Amino acid sequence: MKRSGQKGRAEGAETRGKACIFRLFVAGDERNSRQARENLTQFCEKYLNRRYEIEIVNVLEDFKSALENNVLLTPALIVISHLTHITIFGTLSDTHKVLSALQLT
Amino acid sequence: MAMRGHKEEKEVYRRKAKGLPKVATRIAGLDEVLNGGLPAGQTTLISGGPGTGKSVLGLEFLYRGAAAGEAGIFVTFEERAPGVRQNALTLGWDMAPLEKAGKLFLMEAHVDPQAVLSGDFNLKGLIAIINGKAAAMRADRIVIDALDVLLRLFDDPARERNELYVLHDWLIDHGMTTVLTVKTSKNGESSGRYEFLDFMANCVISLDQPVTEQIATRRLRVLKYRGSGFGRNEYPFCITDEGINIIPLSFAELQHKALGPRVSSGHPRLDALLDGGYRRGSCTLMSGTTGTGKTSVASTFVRSACERGEKVLYINFEESQEAMVSSMLSPGIDLRPALQAGRLRLLTAMPEAMGVEEHLSRAFKVIKAFQPEHVIVDAISSCERMGTRMTAFGYLTRVVNACKERGITLILINQTSGFREENEISGIGISSMVDTIIFLRYIEIGGEINRMLLVMKSRGSKHSNQYREFLVTDHGFEIPEVYVGEGGVLTGAARQEQEAREEAQHRRRFQEIEQKEREVIQTRAALQAQTATLKAELEAAEAQLQTLRLNEKLWQNGRKKRGEMRGQISDTARLPTPPPQRKRRGARRPGGAR
Repeated sequence: MKRSGQKGRAEGAETRGKACIFRLFVAGDERNSRQARENLTQFCEKYLNRRYEIEIVNVLEDFKSALENNVLLTPALIVISHLTHITIFGTLSDTHKVLSALQLT
Repeated sequence: MAMRGHKEEKEVYRRKAKGLPKVATRIAGLDEVLNGGLPAGQTTLISGGPGTGKSVLGLEFLYRGAAAGEAGIFVTFEERAPGVRQNALTLGWDMAPLEKAGKLFLMEAHVDPQAVLSGDFNLKGLIAIINGKAAAMRADRIVIDALDVLLRLFDDPARERNELYVLHDWLIDHGMTTVLTVKTSKNGESSGRYEFLDFMANCVISLDQPVTEQIATRRLRVLKYRGSGFGRNEYPFCITDEGINIIPLSFAELQHKALGPRVSSGHPRLDALLDGGYRRGSCTLMSGTTGTGKTSVASTFVRSACERGEKVLYINFEESQEAMVSSMLSPGIDLRPALQAGRLRLLTAMPEAMGVEEHLSRAFKVIKAFQPEHVIVDAISSCERMGTRMTAFGYLTRVVNACKERGITLILINQTSGFREENEISGIGISSMVDTIIFLRYIEIGGEINRMLLVMKSRGSKHSNQYREFLVTDHGFEIPEVYVGEGGVLTGAARQEQEAREEAQHRRRFQEIEQKEREVIQTRAALQAQTATLKAELEAAEAQLQTLRLNEKLWQNGRKKRGEMRGQISDTARLPTPPPQRKRRGARRPGGAR
């Protein structure tokens, strides 16, 4: 089951290209899932200036999405707005890695 | 080889195992080794180097289960799903219908190598997928192939271990019968990194593929099985076009059928030597050096069996089908009608071409499908080329057992390497399994080589104990009449010499009689000839006598006439008259006849 989580504002997207659309796979309220959710929100607020969208998928409720996206590890972040498929596993605690993955450095 | 009593055996094992529930793998031979199957609801670890057959074993377990209605999940970290399906097809398994029916699920658990790792993560995604799928399919068996690929992502042995335990616990809690496959280093020992898996799993199976004398043999060994007995040997196995085939030798119980009635060898005189022919379901070893006629004797049997409408499988390690058929034409044994009628099937392969297990499974497959009454193996001596002497022994033991269980008449041809090597007679040490031994050899007598045939041993029957001369002619083989003269069995020139000697003696006696007869005839002829001469002389003498008498008469008449003309005077009395005795005829023998 897809669950749209916090939806950031899309306004201002025209100033710095397209907005980032994220799909974050979590395993319920597991500690690292919770951390990932928090880290992602902070990251978006800090670097993406509200031009982002986050869709949260709980694999415990929606295993089919996990299967379709080949998410074996959680938490997992998939960036669906970019041309290249980007997957980031983990709590997203390493901000530099996330930035370089999103080519924002 | 999966025996026919597979299911019953499984039940027996279940009962024996006292409460340890097992899940049959349905893989040929594996359940025998595992005393019934894998531990139900527990974890089994299959470890082995690359290419040792781990994935195939796991997949076959699921495929066979799915085909029997037991749903299962195959998670692969290395291969793509289409590749797995394709490989399965080459093993004769069509996964697609089972996947459609929801009995089999192929999960391509591919981790994007481009994926970025940032911070802590765990296997909850995988578990969630397994959980969802297992519930939907009502699956209770899972194979996780090449788990080590996923674990490497953690890049930390402690994390790997933790995650694996979480996964393991989840699987056990959910009653999943689990098979994990893990690659090991080449020497077959699991690397230290995954040693904990051995402790975690209830059953550990190790696969390897050592190469000895250039022939690779796959082997399977059960390293541990908590709470259960298991076959502790190293079991060679092969991956055939029907999947894995393990033939646990030590489990091949002796369930041989009793020897059946006689079946003709195809040659009346050999039948006589064998007390009526081969016994059905018996094993005959035909041993001899090259060219002694072993294949001819076997082919004669093949031809006659096929003519009776029986089926024969000829396993030939020496020649191709064409070569064999044409080489048998020269001794006048035409196998083509039997082949055309589909009663004779030739299974040819170079012994080196594949491992012993593959040879075995090929043979067993044909035996199963073709259901022959008789099987010939030509030549068992070549089996050593599959590997070692031990390999050959294993091959033959299993072939003999399989044939005896099915009541198939088996003829093993053994080529001995040298002249007079009696110790080779037994043929790779299998003589105890053999019921009849026919020994063909060359013997040298008087500077000449001749073929000899001997029935050495024949279980449960009288048989000739004589060496018999054996000829291969252009119309099959011949066993001439037993030589009944003085002395022992003689062959070839020696036999001919002896026969000639006797012939000469006989002729001499005959000639003496003839000579006497001729003498008598000649004597009689001489007698007759002499008689004829004497008769002729007598006749000549008589003729002379008559002439003389006639002359005398003429002289007398002339004198009388002259006297009458001179006037018949009184002086007539003065003339002598012829003596009276001279007038008697035949009274005296003529003197000049001698």
